[in-house]
Amino acid sequence: MARAVTTQRKVIATAAAWTIGIAIFFPILWTVLTSFKTEAQAIADPPVWFGFDWTLENYEVVQERSNYFRFLMNSVIIAVGSTVLGLLIAIPSAWSMAFVPGKRTKDVLMWMLSTKMLPAVGVLFPIVLIARFLDLYDTHILLIVVLMLMNLPIIIWMLYTYFKEIPVDILEAARMDGASLRSEIIYVLTPMALPGIASTMLLNIILAWNEAFWTLNLTTTKAAPLTAFIASYSSPEGLFYAKLSAASTMAIAPILIMGWFSQKQLVRGLTFGAVK
Amino acid sequence: MAAARPMRLFRNINAKIAAIPMVLTALVVFTGGTIWTVVYSFTNSKLLPREKWVGLQQYERLWGTERWNVAIENLLIYGACMVVFSLVIGFVLAALLDQKIRFENTFRTILLYPFALSFIVTGLVWQWLLNPDFGIQSVIQAMGWESFDFDPLYNADIVIYGVLIAGLWQGTGLVMCLMLAGLRGIDQEIWKAARVDGIPMWKTYIFIVIPMMRPVFITTLVIIASGIVRLYDLIVAQTGGGPGIASDVPAKYVYDYMFQGQNLGQGFAASTMMLLAVLVVIIPWAYLEFGGKKRV
Repeated sequence: MARAVTTQRKVIATAAAWTIGIAIFFPILWTVLTSFKTEAQAIADPPVWFGFDWTLENYEVVQERSNYFRFLMNSVIIAVGSTVLGLLIAIPSAWSMAFVPGKRTKDVLMWMLSTKMLPAVGVLFPIVLIARFLDLYDTHILLIVVLMLMNLPIIIWMLYTYFKEIPVDILEAARMDGASLRSEIIYVLTPMALPGIASTMLLNIILAWNEAFWTLNLTTTKAAPLTAFIASYSSPEGLFYAKLSAASTMAIAPILIMGWFSQKQLVRGLTFGAVK
Repeated sequence: MAAARPMRLFRNINAKIAAIPMVLTALVVFTGGTIWTVVYSFTNSKLLPREKWVGLQQYERLWGTERWNVAIENLLIYGACMVVFSLVIGFVLAALLDQKIRFENTFRTILLYPFALSFIVTGLVWQWLLNPDFGIQSVIQAMGWESFDFDPLYNADIVIYGVLIAGLWQGTGLVMCLMLAGLRGIDQEIWKAARVDGIPMWKTYIFIVIPMMRPVFITTLVIIASGIVRLYDLIVAQTGGGPGIASDVPAKYVYDYMFQGQNLGQGFAASTMMLLAVLVVIIPWAYLEFGGKKRV
């Protein structure tokens, strides 16, 4: 900030911001803490903060009861699969819109994005019918394709904004040197846009990881990911908060850890490319 | 320039081919699926879709159902509050952060963490935090404020605000980051000029900076709005639509009729109404955004 910011004001702003930050982080912290308590301590009144006997019992029970690792594998397959498939389709599309815009490009882009606003329930039944017809219900393939379709507008939009920043001259120079269109995209455009592509990938993985509407409705057991895993803990036993916390912690840990080590991509990705 | 012409045509063909999968997707899945749903909303399909036309009967029934009216009202309250509060809180936080605080990157990551969690986890965590016996209420009562009373999830009149708190917790960090990006994009000269003219800071924000951030506000609004339309997972995880039907939302209504109530036609009619509502919002917006740009 070139605007002169006095040290005193900076300190106050920092303190205020961190108070808010801690308040916002508190629910996550509490969930993680509770997962290490016994059920009795979890619902103790008044609550215990740190002075309890740390136990891994909840994690053992949860793993035993519903095989966490199978759900985790399903989540990884679905999130990574739909992201890779989405990028394969989105990169050429975004290339064509960014570098060879036609009269209708803007319209197509807006139309794509506007589909994201449509209520998903509107296409739920047709997709269930198609899935049953093709005998794909409760399979990884189905979820990979459906989640890819749902997130495709966002991927294309983000890649488009990143590609727009790459000077056309460089692509033209490659073409002058005799590069084919394919190698132009693979060897020139993709490496240059890599930071943008990485953020887009991260965003898409998170969106696919968290998607509950489609995963709950299109799976039963075989392909059910972590969202189904936590949902299965939510209703029947209601008050087993320590176990529920353990299950939630297990479900969110991969995202929190991945996000911490790729903060820059996380912030860029989650803000849809607005934060550079 | 003359040599570039055939090249251009060739590239255009390639570009069209490259865009085909995307256009097909949008066309077949979204438009096709939606039209199918709209068409079948005029039938009295029960367990399976069938072509027995009943005109507007499903819609009459829909608007005569109390549960649907509750769901619509909830979505309106949630939507309006979500837009207003997340914009205001997000902007204030962004203005605060714009003072260049320390460890800004870490702070941003923490504020974005809730957005990286699924609505299912958000709903469960807040179901618990708002539980009168173990959550916020009991903590504050334990701290000595015995009469503190806050249990929105068990009070049918205010349950939707309990959901709103969870929604705000999840989404405000994102709004803040978008706003911060917008604030950073404002030319420093403008701040200097405003100060030279002796304009107070709050006035500079309201009359100069915010109007300049119009594109950022529009992007943010679109993201918030698409989250509001999708409101489903949060309700399912946090309240299950209860107590009773007090926190029902349209998406849940549609889902229940399609899969539990075995009344597809009713579900289709309800989702068509949701679609109409979205169109009422989108069309003027798209017209303003695009119509404006084309004229320039």
